[in-house]
Amino acid sequence: MATVEERVKAVTARVLKLDPDEIKPEDSFTADLGAESVQSIELVAMFEEEFGIEMEEDAALSVETVGKAAEFIAQVCKEQGVVTDVS
Amino acid sequence: MRLILLDNSNEIRGNFYPLALSRPLWELRCGFNSLGQKLIDKVGANDVAYFVPDYMADSYRGKVEWPVNDSSVLDGDDLLIVDPRVKAESFDVTANPDKIGSEVGLDEQGNVLYARIAKDDLAKLPLAPAVTRVQARDEVGKLIAEAKEKLPNIRSALPRWQYIWDLVLANAEQITADFAAAGQHGIEGTVEQPNAIRGNKKDVYIAPGTIVHPMVVIDAEHGPVYIDEDAQIHSFTRIEGPCYIGKKTILLGAKCREGNSIGPFCRIGGEVEESIIHGYSNKYHDGFLGHAYVGEWVNLGAFTTNSDLKNDYSAVSVILDGRRAIDTGSVKVGSLIGDHVKTSIGTLFNTGSYVGPMALIMATGKPLPKFITSFAWFIEGVVTKGFGKGKLYEMAKMAMSRRDCQWTKTEQTMWDAVFEMTAPIRNQAIKKSRRAMLNR
Repeated sequence: MATVEERVKAVTARVLKLDPDEIKPEDSFTADLGAESVQSIELVAMFEEEFGIEMEEDAALSVETVGKAAEFIAQVCKEQGVVTDVS
Repeated sequence: MRLILLDNSNEIRGNFYPLALSRPLWELRCGFNSLGQKLIDKVGANDVAYFVPDYMADSYRGKVEWPVNDSSVLDGDDLLIVDPRVKAESFDVTANPDKIGSEVGLDEQGNVLYARIAKDDLAKLPLAPAVTRVQARDEVGKLIAEAKEKLPNIRSALPRWQYIWDLVLANAEQITADFAAAGQHGIEGTVEQPNAIRGNKKDVYIAPGTIVHPMVVIDAEHGPVYIDEDAQIHSFTRIEGPCYIGKKTILLGAKCREGNSIGPFCRIGGEVEESIIHGYSNKYHDGFLGHAYVGEWVNLGAFTTNSDLKNDYSAVSVILDGRRAIDTGSVKVGSLIGDHVKTSIGTLFNTGSYVGPMALIMATGKPLPKFITSFAWFIEGVVTKGFGKGKLYEMAKMAMSRRDCQWTKTEQTMWDAVFEMTAPIRNQAIKKSRRAMLNR
């Protein structure tokens, strides 16, 4: 089972049409990966689908980097009882 | 006599969505003013009270001078309780019960159209005192049920508005009737020359404070034109009657075809035909709007255009509830656009489109789906949660502050309720959109 960060990278790569291997945790969605506001909305939607969670829009859209997104999502998963641990 | 306007069940109110999501039915407009004002004028009431759905009571109370959901008004005077869907011009019921007594008018299905209740008869209709204002609408419902049971019933064929598009389709005729009723004509504002008024000058009224710039055509040949106070009609505007331009509205070189009721405080350009536009809405730029009903605080971006006629000239259908298409029976129906909707440049609305209030639309270059749910962030052809309702509220607050109007807590509470009411349909749309996104 992939880690939260790996899954975040995979979704990011799919939405932004990038190579997942080129995405680093410190990458900013907007400044480094070129996400426009519309794509940010799509990213949040796809993260929710990927993890089966509901995120508060303002909080989710204020997350700037891939690594922070993984942390944020892991926290939301925990709060909403969604299992993400690697076996 | 006290006139009581009692709003309908949500099932009936749904026929007047998206506008009725945020206002009682009598605040819908046709011609010069609202359905409620027409009933008040017709009855000659100088004492009025309102009963609205609970979720909008506090917000509505802040907007009107008469009592809202206050059950104390159900005592102490003769009452005339009226279904706001009754067409005012046909309402020929004697309001005062003095000599003719109480009476309950029922339609063919036994639904109450009006109840005229003499003060003395109120004693026969025991009414439990309302504990809270929230329960007040139930109280008046009980009063009507009692009245129906204990007072004389008569069969009434009073015509009613059935759907929101009925108002659009009747607007031109209503403007003509309202113009005649207003009894005003002539130029009290400023008309800068050269200008052209076609038709009978008695069919034109330009109110004080209004400025008509040079090179404007007012064509009253096929119907009257009434321009209310402090409007500005910029050069190269053409206004065809019947038409009503509300107070402080600005027309910016608009091709204002027949049958429009616009304003107050609107800014309108491009081509508009047979449409009703509530206050504070903007369609500043080019683009066609026809047979549309537009709420307040709407902003239609440049080149936003709606279709109001199908290529095959068949009757237009409209989806009001997100599920079921209703045949309007009319070949011309445009868009129904709720309050605070914002569209991007180049938005194309299909014939008979429904756009829920607070929706934010980004054009796709193609005609959009015919039903767009309330609070939708419609982006890249799908409904998303976008930046959420908080951001939509921020934008509404900003738009209102630019016109010196205030976004109030009670208003936000009402919109929160609308958000919850419309959540099931919106969530379905979001799910469907997610599937579409995954398959891209």
